[in-house]
Formats: sequence, C-alpha cells, structure tokens
Amino acid sequence: MKHLIVGNGIAGINAAKAIREMDTTAAIVMVSDETFPPYSRPMISYVLEGSEPHEKLPLFAGNVYEDLNITPVLGNRVAQLDAKKKIVRLENGADIEFETLLIASGADARHIRVPGSELGNIFTMRTQKDVLDQLKAVSQGVENALVLGGGLVGFKAAHALLKRGIKVTMLITSPYPLAMQVDETAGKMILRELEDHGLTVKVGVSVTAFDGDATVENARLDSGETLDCDLVIVGKGVDPSLRFIEQNDIQTGYGILVDKYLCSSIPNIYAAGDAAETFDIARQTRWINAIWPEAAIQGRIAGFNMSGRKVSCPGSLGRNVMRIYGLDVMTMGLANPENTDNFEIIQAGGEKTGAYRRLVFHGDILAGAVLINQIEQGGMLRAMIENRVPVRIPRSCLMSLDFNYSQLL
Amino acid sequence: MKQVIVNPEKCVGCMQCMLACAVAHAKSESLFAAVQETPKPRPRVHVGAGLFNQGFPNRCRHCDPAPCQLACLTGAIFRDAATHTVFINPDRCINCASCAMACPYGVLRFHEDTAAPPGKTVAVKCDNCDARVARGKIPACVEVCKTGALIYDEMGHALDQKTRQVARTMSSDAAAQGLPDTVALYNTLKQATVKAGTAIRR
Repeated sequence: MKHLIVGNGIAGINAAKAIREMDTTAAIVMVSDETFPPYSRPMISYVLEGSEPHEKLPLFAGNVYEDLNITPVLGNRVAQLDAKKKIVRLENGADIEFETLLIASGADARHIRVPGSELGNIFTMRTQKDVLDQLKAVSQGVENALVLGGGLVGFKAAHALLKRGIKVTMLITSPYPLAMQVDETAGKMILRELEDHGLTVKVGVSVTAFDGDATVENARLDSGETLDCDLVIVGKGVDPSLRFIEQNDIQTGYGILVDKYLCSSIPNIYAAGDAAETFDIARQTRWINAIWPEAAIQGRIAGFNMSGRKVSCPGSLGRNVMRIYGLDVMTMGLANPENTDNFEIIQAGGEKTGAYRRLVFHGDILAGAVLINQIEQGGMLRAMIENRVPVRIPRSCLMSLDFNYSQLL
Repeated sequence: MKQVIVNPEKCVGCMQCMLACAVAHAKSESLFAAVQETPKPRPRVHVGAGLFNQGFPNRCRHCDPAPCQLACLTGAIFRDAATHTVFINPDRCINCASCAMACPYGVLRFHEDTAAPPGKTVAVKCDNCDARVARGKIPACVEVCKTGALIYDEMGHALDQKTRQVARTMSSDAAAQGLPDTVALYNTLKQATVKAGTAIRR
C-alpha cells in the first residue's frame, strides 16, 4: 500500500502515526512546503511573546520521519492533483503516485492587498518562519505595531506584542475583539483587559494604503487618519490551501467535503484538518473548524481509515481557550448565535464579578458556551455539546461551579 | 497491573484523599511541613458533591486514547508505556489550558508545582503516585480512604468483586448491597436531608 500525505501539520503527522499503528510496512510519503520539523503551530504566538523559545516548537525529539519510516518531500508545494490517474504533481514538476491520499494541506493566511502592502515588516502570522521574521524586525527596534483584525490570530499577535512592551493598535470591524468566538459581554471584558494593558483599539476602520521606504512607516486609514507603524501583522483569517485541486474533480464547499470516515467524494482520497469541511456538531451543518485539536483527531481518524480500519468521525466542534493577562477565556460550539429565536441563553457574572459564564441551549441540548475564569469544568461542557447530552435538570445547575456529570444521570 | 479503582457509591465526601494527595506531592511529603511550603502543595483528586450531596472523588482516568494528550499543543502530555499512566511534562507545558478544554472529567488544574520549573504555572493532574509506587507504596488517595471508595487492585479482580456484589443484591436479602451499613445509613440520611430541604423551600 502506498499512502501519500499532503501536509506535515498535526493532521498529516497523526495520520502517519495511525497508519503505522496499523501497518508497519506500508509506504508513506509526506509532502510539505515547510522544511522545519513538524511543530506546534499554535505555539508560535508564545514564541513571538517571548514566553517560549523557538527551539521548543518541534513536537518530536528525534527525526519523526525516520522514526515513522516516512519518506519526506519537503520544500515543495503540490501544484496539481490528478484524481483519476492517482498522481500528484509538485511545483518542481516531479510526479508522485499514490494508492490512498490524505489532503491535510491546511490553510494559508490571507494577505492584505492595498498599495504598499509589499513593504517590509508587514507580516501574516501562520508559520514558524513568519514569527522568526517578526522577531527579527522586533530585534531591530519596533515602537508602534499595527494589528489588522480582531480574530484569534490578530488578538494573539496583539497580546504577544503588548507583552514585549510594544505599543499596539488593533483595527477591527466588529465592536469588540473575537466577535466570531464570544458574545458581547465576554468580548467587552476581553477588550477592557487588553486596553488596561495598553492596547489601542479602533473600530470600524480599515487600511487603504501603507507608506514607507523599504519598510512600512505608516498606514493610511479610510477614516482619513494616518497611523505611525513600523510593524504590521495581518490577521485577516485563513483560506484552505486547495489551489492544486481542479474544480469538479472533488466535491468541495469552502473546504473538501468529507463523509463521516473523512473520505472525499473520491474513494481513497481523504481530507483532514483545516482543509476539510466536516459536520459541525453544534451548528448541525457543514463547517470548517480550523483548530489544532480537530486537526489532530481528524488526522488520526483519517489515518486509520486509509489503512483499512473503519473509524467514524462524529463531527467537529469549534472551541478555543486563551489566557489574556488576568482572564482565562474558553469558548466552544455555537457561543453566539446570530439568530437567537430557537435558542435559550443563560448567563451570569460579568466585568464586576471577574468571572462570566454563558450557556446556549437548543432545546434541551447544550450548543455552545463561553467561560471567563473558573474554566475547570469547560471540558465537561465541551463533552456535553459534543455528545449532545440532553439536559433534563434545571439549567441553572450547569452554571454552578459544583456541577458534576452525575447530576445529569 | 494494579490500578486505582473508584467506587463512588462508597464515598462519604470526607476529602481525606485530597489532603493525602496534596501531601504526597509536596516536597516534604509530610503534612506539617507541607503547609509551610511554597508553592503550596495541591491535590490532584477533587471531591465534588452530587445531587444529594453524596461525595464523588474525581480523578484522572488516564483514558486511552487520552483526549488531553490529543489536544496538547506542545506534546507535553504523554503516556508511559509501562504503567499506562498519562503524564504531563511540566517543562514542555505552556499553560494554554487546551487539555482542560479536552478533558471530559474536568480534572485539570493550573498552578505552580514542586515538580515544575520555579515560578511557572503548569497543568497538573493525577500521576498515579508513580514516585510512591516506585518505592513500593500504594497511591496516597487509596492509602487514606477509609470506606473503600478508592481501592488499588487488579481490574479483573475488582470486576469479579463487583459482579459478586451485584449478584448479592439480587438475592432475597436485598439489604446486602455491598455497602457498609454505616455508609448506607449516611447516604440515606444525606438524601433525606436534601429532599426535606427541597420540600421546605417549596
């Protein structure tokens, strides 16, 4: 059996591990454009912040390719997939044949396209190289940083730069950061915490151009304002890396559509991680949940299926946890539904109490939650959302710090 | 291989396991010295209250596969092949709380610990008292448990015992439910108190 895995992120690596558990002799080829050893992508913000060194990024002590007997093909992107002939063509022209294929190509950061956006010191934040480049700029002296976007990446970048004592201005379109993840009460608590530590937030404005010689010196905004900045981090989201797939070859939505075995519309071609569009348990619809733990488990499940052991994936669930100075923020599932008609939402606490809990119910099923501080029970709530456990006790019980699962039985 | 097995119906909620656990993970391993230590030793087992205030000793199940291990961003969480214990390497842990979000039992805590680099907050959970077991002792929570809510046994043997216990409840003398009389009485009293309290509030 010859397995080809596109991507050496956690989905790809876990798939290879699962294949090896099942089959010690199968050939595994792994293609990636990143030449750095498989590493913890979510950790790059810790490196930018300075709390963890760059050397700690790799996930494995030795050479994981050797240990798992994988043939690595690094420094190359896939240019084209021929699903019928079962061949993948690389950008350097080389062809690789496969019997089963895993598309774990992940996602790429969106760039900003305005005049001057090619200037130096304007970065996205996706790879370890991005952070090395940012750190190089920081070491040459950065006074004013500009972060575009208040999503997870923008927020992590801002948090990290603030911790380095750099003045940070964040431009966001929604009225508070992390609007995709949390509700307004929690968002305002987060905003307040960041502002207390020196963050400047500008709402409802965007950049029209950057000026500078070789490196960026200022940003012009659509409000007419000009901001001095010597470092820019663009956190405008990511798109699945699927350019090598011809349209109509494989069924795609925003990502590759997969069944519960993570198999695409073509047998023997699987997808996992940020490139896969799975069934979202909380939303009860197709969705890409581009987060590390989903990539990790999906990779493992895909690997088992590729090696012939049928394992089904119950679906995916968006979730995030972050520590923002004095706040521990955990958010999961459908925490902030746009249309609240069919939902019952209970919440308690807030800025004054220093802790906050919000639960979103759809019928008697928990669909989402936001916890700020006192997050120890988060995993239990997450499991309840994921397993769609009906809640037939008073819902207020789940708001209590004494809540335990046996109360549901 | 022996392991810690929980019989929650026997827990009276005395929390002695928590104290013993904290002491077992203190530098001094002695209660009197432990209270003076910095960082303050903390328990890995957590006794919570059920609907009728019955106790429940909540400890790491060392799941396989372990959701926390799969969710760990840094590879700090690993399984020891010999003992099947899931450990957290405090030097690799970055205190991101992804494990807490993954754990369906809510057993993760985050604090400074004698085993961690000084001043660093890390994820902490049950380690099956590996240090004690290596010295031929049994896990501290089991050693101190007076009611048999926590036992240290071969899983097969414990299951046999449980089967026998369940079988006994089927016999005509239904009183033989396997609980010591005192524990059964205590649990009944607790339930009655809570139910009475609810009735009064209504």
